[in-house]
Amino acid sequence: MRGRTLVGVVLAAFVLVALSIVWRRTIGIGQSERLAQLDGNRVDLESERARLEAEIRDASARQTLGTSAERRLGMHIPSDKQVVILPRATR
Amino acid sequence: MKAPTRVAVIHAFFLLFAISLVARAAKVQVVEGKQWAARGKRQHFFAGSLSAPRGEILDASGNTLVESREMTRVALALPEMRDTALVLKALRRARLDAAAVHAAIDRRRRWIEIPGLYSASDVASISKLNGVHLTPVLQRVYGNSDGIKRIVGSLDGRGNPLDGLELALDSLLRGDSGRVSLARDNNGRALDSPDGWTEQPKAGSTVVLTINNTLQDICERELSIAVDSLKAEGGDIVVMNPHTGEILALASNRVGRTTFGNTAVTEPFEPGSTLKPFVAASLLEHKRARPSDIVNTHNGKLELDGRIITDMHKAAQLSLSDVIRFSSNVGIVEFGQRLTPRQKYETFRDLGFGMALGVPLPAEAAGTLREPRQWSRQTAASILMGYEIAVTPLQLVTAYAAIANGGELLEPHLVKEVRSVEGKVVYRAETRAIRRVMSGEVARTIQQMLLAVVQEGTATKADLATFEVAGKSGTARRTSQNAGYTAGNYTASFVGLFPGNDPQYVVLVKLDSPKGAHYAGGDIAAPVTQIVLRAALAARDAALDREGLAASEKSTLADVARASNGTRSTATPKVAQRVRGDATDALDRAAYDPSDNMAPRAEPEETASYFVDLPASPKLAVAPRLPVTPRPIPDVRRLSVREAVRALHGAGFRVRVVTAASPGTLPAAGTMAAPGTLVQLTRPLE
Repeated sequence: MRGRTLVGVVLAAFVLVALSIVWRRTIGIGQSERLAQLDGNRVDLESERARLEAEIRDASARQTLGTSAERRLGMHIPSDKQVVILPRATR
Repeated sequence: MKAPTRVAVIHAFFLLFAISLVARAAKVQVVEGKQWAARGKRQHFFAGSLSAPRGEILDASGNTLVESREMTRVALALPEMRDTALVLKALRRARLDAAAVHAAIDRRRRWIEIPGLYSASDVASISKLNGVHLTPVLQRVYGNSDGIKRIVGSLDGRGNPLDGLELALDSLLRGDSGRVSLARDNNGRALDSPDGWTEQPKAGSTVVLTINNTLQDICERELSIAVDSLKAEGGDIVVMNPHTGEILALASNRVGRTTFGNTAVTEPFEPGSTLKPFVAASLLEHKRARPSDIVNTHNGKLELDGRIITDMHKAAQLSLSDVIRFSSNVGIVEFGQRLTPRQKYETFRDLGFGMALGVPLPAEAAGTLREPRQWSRQTAASILMGYEIAVTPLQLVTAYAAIANGGELLEPHLVKEVRSVEGKVVYRAETRAIRRVMSGEVARTIQQMLLAVVQEGTATKADLATFEVAGKSGTARRTSQNAGYTAGNYTASFVGLFPGNDPQYVVLVKLDSPKGAHYAGGDIAAPVTQIVLRAALAARDAALDREGLAASEKSTLADVARASNGTRSTATPKVAQRVRGDATDALDRAAYDPSDNMAPRAEPEETASYFVDLPASPKLAVAPRLPVTPRPIPDVRRLSVREAVRALHGAGFRVRVVTAASPGTLPAAGTMAAPGTLVQLTRPLE
């Protein structure tokens, strides 16, 4: 019986080790997929940031803003007389 | 011998089978072990490419002009699809172009690429479907500015550069792609492997341009408005810092035709009168004329070599300064005859015309400047008026920058610096003088002539209330395909120096084929320059040195003049006048060296009046003649009679020569008199 017990223990240990390896790999693959997903999200957000920044640049460009300011608010480019350059204060 | 029993045979068979299995296993594991291990690894792992982020392009203030973002390209492998309808449904849910998907699937090709690029979140739901292949692609994000697009260029769908700086600086912007080891799952999809390796990609360098985005926006907007309102075929605006050669703005606009590259660099044009200041500079440099020298301008009509040269502003005679001021074709041709063909050619060649300037933009045009041996009979006169020569707007601005900076032709540059991904500056542009094209004294004199053009010449519409503007207008006839010069087809241009007394900008405005009553450079290009300058002054960051500007304001100059002269200044800035007087006088006093090849000089007629008949224009209609400002009668006692007559004519007076006991003038030297006053020059008795 001792011999059979020993074989049983060894087999059980083998199964446990095998299970732990499979479990670890499963966890690893799961983590890897999660990482890939997060990386995808990062890329997505970076991409969105670039797009939004480009849109902000376009919206705040003089081509867009200047036209709207003139048409909707009646603003105009000041004449050079209306621009006052203040000399820097001397200490 | 006992025959083997049946059991023994079966045992032997199993034994042999076991031995063959062990042998085969030994062969696979021991003999071919490495080979099979490598094959297994190849099947399970593979090396994926990591594309390097392409470098950013920034403007001079650090604003992003172009950057990259990662998008996804979707491809379908039909043989791998288990359920086409399911994939189609998922693609529709993912908001992919349904029509394109349908059309592609209907064709039953094995590999279908869905047009367009999609964000990672759009295609996340379909990424696990069999037969759907997603490939990350770097997309360049450009602003809406056409001008910037023309400068930076573009990439094709595969990320290869097509034109502009993207093409010229590809080796810097591209970076080095990396590699990564990935594992495959049971469906063949890639997974990051914990046992794998990664070679990180190296991002491309960041390129900082000399372009000022604000100024670029201003130029593009004003050019667009001008082209629309004048119904022109197109136009260009170039702004350069004359002290560094930095190109601050490059705006181009073409109506109804697709152009590649920046036309300010790729399309040469006949510049017309904007070349006249360089002829004047050459005359002064070669000591063939002085600013006050007068030629007969034949009331604005001269027949030469079988053709008639005419002036818009008719005058009987003009000084060199006034030839520039009123852009007299007859006057510049009369003066230009004092230069040899070789001198004319070398003047323009030294200014960089006829050769590419070397800015990092593909397809830069060299323009056209033919050698004298290739000239026709009329070229010698045509080239003086800016015809039979073609220059790009950038070449013209670079040449004017030489006038603005004291005579040095600078290498224009578009790239300010290049930074590695770590932020280290690997290249920084330095100001480099190509050659000196005129002395500082001549440059100052030409600058003063250009100030007069804006103050009271052909380009008064460029003038500002608080700052001096110098410049020269040009109106050149344009050719049509196979039809030569055609009526009503002009290039209107103006090149301005701002502020006129200490330039920070050289601005060129060029409008192609404007339609309507007004087509002259001084009428339509000069006002565009004015509004660009006004907008730049009002802008927060338009590459202007405000402290320098404060010192250049007309009121400040007048204060300085008051302080130095101890007198009250008039509305006209005295410092500018004083500087002009100094430079002009210096050249007038310089040794005069008429050579043998100088053409006979037209002697002024004694009865000729000295005023210029200006064409009607809104500003000048009220006062068609020049403003009459009293000026001092020059001291001519030490000059010969001929030189004295010239000096007095140069100062704007009419002269009567009489014989008397002592030399002098009546009224006496120093007396203030209006231009056109008859001055009696007394010639001593022999």
